[in-house]
Amino acid sequence: MLENTLKKLAATDPKKMITYPLIVFLVAVLILAIHFPNLGTDLKGGVVVTLHGENVDAKEVEGLLKQENFDVVVREVKSITGDAKVEIRASTDVNVQRIIELVKSKYPDVMISQTQFGPSLSRTAQEQSLKAVSLAFLGMAVVVFLFFRVPVPSLTVIFSAFSDMTIALALMSIFGLELTQATIAALLMLIGYSVDSNILLTTKLLRRKEDTVEDAYFSAVSTGFTMSTTTLGALASLWILSQAEVIDMIAIVLIFGLLADFMNTWILNAGVLRWYIQRGEKR
Amino acid sequence: MNLKKILLNGRVLLLVLVILGSIVTILSQGITYGLDISGGVEITVQLEKPVDQNIMEEVRTSLETRLNTLGVKDITLEPWGDQIIKIRVANVTEEEANSIIDTINRQGVFYAEFNGIIFATGEDIKRVDQVSYDPRESSWIVPFSISKEAAEKFAQLALGKVGYPVDIFLDPPVNSVLIVSQDVYAIMINEFQFVPDAKSLPQRLKEAFNIDVIAYGNQTAEEIAKLAEGREKVILIGINGDLESQLRNFGIKVEKREPRAGEAIDEFIRRIIGLYGPYKLQEGLTTGEPHTELAISIGGAKDDIVAMRQAQVVSVVLRSGSLPVKVFVEGVNYIPPTLGEQFKSQVLRAGLVALLVVGFVVYLHYRKLRIAVPVVITSLSEVIAILGIAALIKWNLDLPSIAGIIAAIGTGVDQQIVITDELLGGKKIGKITKRSGILKRMGRAFFVIWASATTTIVAMSFLFKFFVGGLRGFAFTTILGVLIGILITRPAYAEIAKILLAEER
Repeated sequence: MLENTLKKLAATDPKKMITYPLIVFLVAVLILAIHFPNLGTDLKGGVVVTLHGENVDAKEVEGLLKQENFDVVVREVKSITGDAKVEIRASTDVNVQRIIELVKSKYPDVMISQTQFGPSLSRTAQEQSLKAVSLAFLGMAVVVFLFFRVPVPSLTVIFSAFSDMTIALALMSIFGLELTQATIAALLMLIGYSVDSNILLTTKLLRRKEDTVEDAYFSAVSTGFTMSTTTLGALASLWILSQAEVIDMIAIVLIFGLLADFMNTWILNAGVLRWYIQRGEKR
Repeated sequence: MNLKKILLNGRVLLLVLVILGSIVTILSQGITYGLDISGGVEITVQLEKPVDQNIMEEVRTSLETRLNTLGVKDITLEPWGDQIIKIRVANVTEEEANSIIDTINRQGVFYAEFNGIIFATGEDIKRVDQVSYDPRESSWIVPFSISKEAAEKFAQLALGKVGYPVDIFLDPPVNSVLIVSQDVYAIMINEFQFVPDAKSLPQRLKEAFNIDVIAYGNQTAEEIAKLAEGREKVILIGINGDLESQLRNFGIKVEKREPRAGEAIDEFIRRIIGLYGPYKLQEGLTTGEPHTELAISIGGAKDDIVAMRQAQVVSVVLRSGSLPVKVFVEGVNYIPPTLGEQFKSQVLRAGLVALLVVGFVVYLHYRKLRIAVPVVITSLSEVIAILGIAALIKWNLDLPSIAGIIAAIGTGVDQQIVITDELLGGKKIGKITKRSGILKRMGRAFFVIWASATTTIVAMSFLFKFFVGGLRGFAFTTILGVLIGILITRPAYAEIAKILLAEER
């Protein structure tokens, strides 16, 4: 079935092929324009107290704290394996010790972890993130250009990576995931994964000396799909089996990005390259 | 299978040596884990302004002394740049973590003041005794003694002034303007004075520390800005609205303070100005005789752990003296030890499952164990090599680092698949095509590998360079994994695959 879809895809007009991913990209941009993912505690500043353990009821904790006039947001986070934790969020000027005391008096056995980010630290983290992301992207663009030295394919690879990141961000916004240092790192890591499959495709299509364009495309797709499935499998097991937030967040954002990359590599980039090659042949 | 042929290859040999070396290193050195795995607290301390290396070292040492006095073990203090110190303490309870934070937050400038006159400062503290509990006052006591000169000065000031308040301050906001709400002002004026002849608290603050206390009655920001001229900062106490941002627009340093939930107003005032006391002057001290023994008391029951810890913090700070620069705790990350242990085993399990999943998918794709098994073994050896280097340089392996290892493995497997597919050529599609030579195909595979490795390394180096936070670990292990991959494991895998796949034909 997959083969048939691919054959159909390979037979469609390249320009048509390009349209779909571009529409998805625009929709992603639109989603981000309407609602950009919220900033996490490490970028916005604030306090998070997390209660790990059984039988903690978020409503009860909230009631307990509201009684003492704490301005907090309490929510329960359930993982796919059924483990639950309760997160208490507040701004930095809150008395964390008192919160922990109150919770402990009610649930003596619960494990409590705590994260605090002051305003200037989170500002620094924001600046650093922005700098890291933009420079990493620029660096990636330069490297891609150096490797290919032809504008159209290079630009497509770069745009693909950009679109991967944008779509992953839009999915984060839809699923209510926050932009944190961890998710930013994952977005940067997407650059690597995205370039991987795109370079494979570009190399096969442009440097093919022995196959037809179609065969080169199929061979690239076959390799690329295996690559992505193994990676997705690894990331999914990471996401399912761990409850550490950093790991979960990195895994899920990479999964989003890889899904986007499927489309951007095998439809968008393939379309552009086929169109590019056709044009070259006409000349 | 031609094992001998595989093992005698130079690149494979190099890989085997690296693996053996890594295993030896891991076993002999052990792996150091980050706090998010071993449990403990990581505190990011920010200095008020950038400082040179000498002052940074001075701050570091005095913080270290303080924390050592507090009696906690396993502390590392690490300066980052010119304005940040990272403090990590392994294996502490929440209460311990909290008193560590309190201790750091104190600059430690001490003043004893009477009727608007400072009679003793930090340099006059001669000895600090054990914290003890006084049931009569129902409070925790930090006894200490002051120099003879200070005691004599106090004796003269206090002569005949029975019942007057004596104040002890730790880190008061010297040379600043306090804008307080009407009710806070009323309490500051009416309490803290004890006898009608004594000066009120605002008056004492003004004379001793040049602190102006002003009741807020809708003055304009401009008026307040005028008052703040030449002052360190303005502190807004219990005042809402946009006064804060308006004052900022005048280029004034503004701090805003709110009472904590459940905090009485007088407690709140004490906390903001760093006041301990005031203590009522007893008759015995007003005779003109110098007394060198003083005490700071912190109200609370005998089993009030918070009060006890606060007393300990004060005692530590008095003992270790003041810091050359003001410091603030900006970030805290606390992980209970058992939770970290739980994370570690989860991640370990996830890693193993991930490896098996990868092997399974590869097997499904090629239907060949002789590809799936080497892929899994190569990936595993990559993990071992990364851990070996981490152990060698004593890298703190935290959760982001582990995520980085797994991410690197992800790209590693991708690239092994590229190599395998190039080796298998167009065979899979079933078309007979003119096959280019094996060297050419390998060249093409390695072009893809080098290009993607370079981009990953470039992208991750910026992360490594610009993040002060915990994610440097992610960047570090990713880069390390990719480097080990392109230099050692990928070439070795290519050789192994070449031999194994050639045998089949």
